[in-house]
Amino acid sequence: MALKPRQVIGAMNEYYEQYPACAGRSVHKLGQEASGAYSRAREKIARFINASEPRECIWTRNATESLNIVANCLKIPRGSKIVTTSLEHHSGSLPFVERARRSRMRIEVVKAHDDGTFDIEDWKKAIDSNTRVVSVVHSSNVTGTITPLRDIVEIAHDRGALVVSDDAQYAPHHPLDVQNPDVDFSAISVHKMCGPTGMGVLYGRMELLESMNMFLVGGDTVSDVRFENGRILPYYLPPPAKFEAGLQNYAGAIGAGAAAEYLQSIGMIEVEKQERKLLATMLKGLKELEHLHVIGPENVNLRSGLVSFFVDTVTSAHDIASFLSDEYGVMIRSGWHCAGPFHYQLGIPPARGTARASIYIYNNEAEISTLLKGLHALIARTSGEENH
Amino acid sequence: MSALSKNAQCVLQILQAAGTLTTSEILEMAQRTEYVEICKDCAGGDTFVAAANQLVEQGLVTKKLGKGGYHWQIVRR
Repeated sequence: MALKPRQVIGAMNEYYEQYPACAGRSVHKLGQEASGAYSRAREKIARFINASEPRECIWTRNATESLNIVANCLKIPRGSKIVTTSLEHHSGSLPFVERARRSRMRIEVVKAHDDGTFDIEDWKKAIDSNTRVVSVVHSSNVTGTITPLRDIVEIAHDRGALVVSDDAQYAPHHPLDVQNPDVDFSAISVHKMCGPTGMGVLYGRMELLESMNMFLVGGDTVSDVRFENGRILPYYLPPPAKFEAGLQNYAGAIGAGAAAEYLQSIGMIEVEKQERKLLATMLKGLKELEHLHVIGPENVNLRSGLVSFFVDTVTSAHDIASFLSDEYGVMIRSGWHCAGPFHYQLGIPPARGTARASIYIYNNEAEISTLLKGLHALIARTSGEENH
Repeated sequence: MSALSKNAQCVLQILQAAGTLTTSEILEMAQRTEYVEICKDCAGGDTFVAAANQLVEQGLVTKKLGKGGYHWQIVRR
């Protein structure tokens, strides 16, 4: 979860205060204003990810919904294979696991190394001519590692498979270009990129979106619904409308557009550079702490702005998060981060979990220093080396 | 007690039965069969520990940091 800049909050407030109307369906002046802002927001998101046209960007509630749309609506022949990884967020694997179970497909799991990196040879073995879909996390929310997506896309496309990239963790921290490497789908959660909660984006290549089944149907998805000979006959609109049924989260979409514009005004290369500088400081400090074990590679160029770790003087990562919050005002996540399979692979039971410290553009060296101080104090108090 | 979430009720039941426990001990016990009806999302543990922290706020449970991490105990009245 990222903090929200004034530009995002302001854009959403402006919608609610100045033109709180339905986009697309109201003919009055406020409706027109809402339609314009809603449409511009889609253009801003399309620019942010370099989609070839805004219509390739579908508004969703989050990356999870985006991935579910692909898994459920893509026409995949029975008996074909889906490839995913042990590093996925549950939202990157479970929609495809369920689709495979329902449609009698085979799932093959490429096992990540314990530091979150991959051996490209494993991908070459897993993706065969029977593979139709590859669902892969671009940047892990546990290890922070960046997947070699370009190589994976090349292998997949060479063998006739589509690539679904889970960009929830990648998009906020790096320049994202869905045309380079040319993924077929990309899923984004806006709350991680300074935008509002409950907003996501599904990018899909237009011809694929056009050929897919709908996820939800109803109002706003149709050009006409006729009643002929006692039958109701719907005529569905092209993307994005066919995937955006019912009243939309207009304020959320406008906020999402403002977040994309805000990040682009800083420049995603600058965002990446700033984060890597802080990440290097954080990694160095964490590695110096006795009893603390970092997960993931040391090379900051292989990872996004987060570090997961555990402390062997406490029995649960939740104790780390609680202590830092209670006594140092530092908020970090703890648990299995919706990545159960990878934690089981590491031999870390869910009750123990891992702690995850994330950094973003608004963080600074002093805050990292506070985090390290807090961890030092926690280790001292829980190792029995200091009396309290 | 009815206003408490299922997770909070589960924490209370576990601590009532077992006395002082560490965070991981509570989470491990929550996955036992006797708590299966009441413990709904203890696998990842975060919502479960959040519920336990709310019990601390409400004065029903105490937590104390010591060797091995937090030790949780029910407040006897």
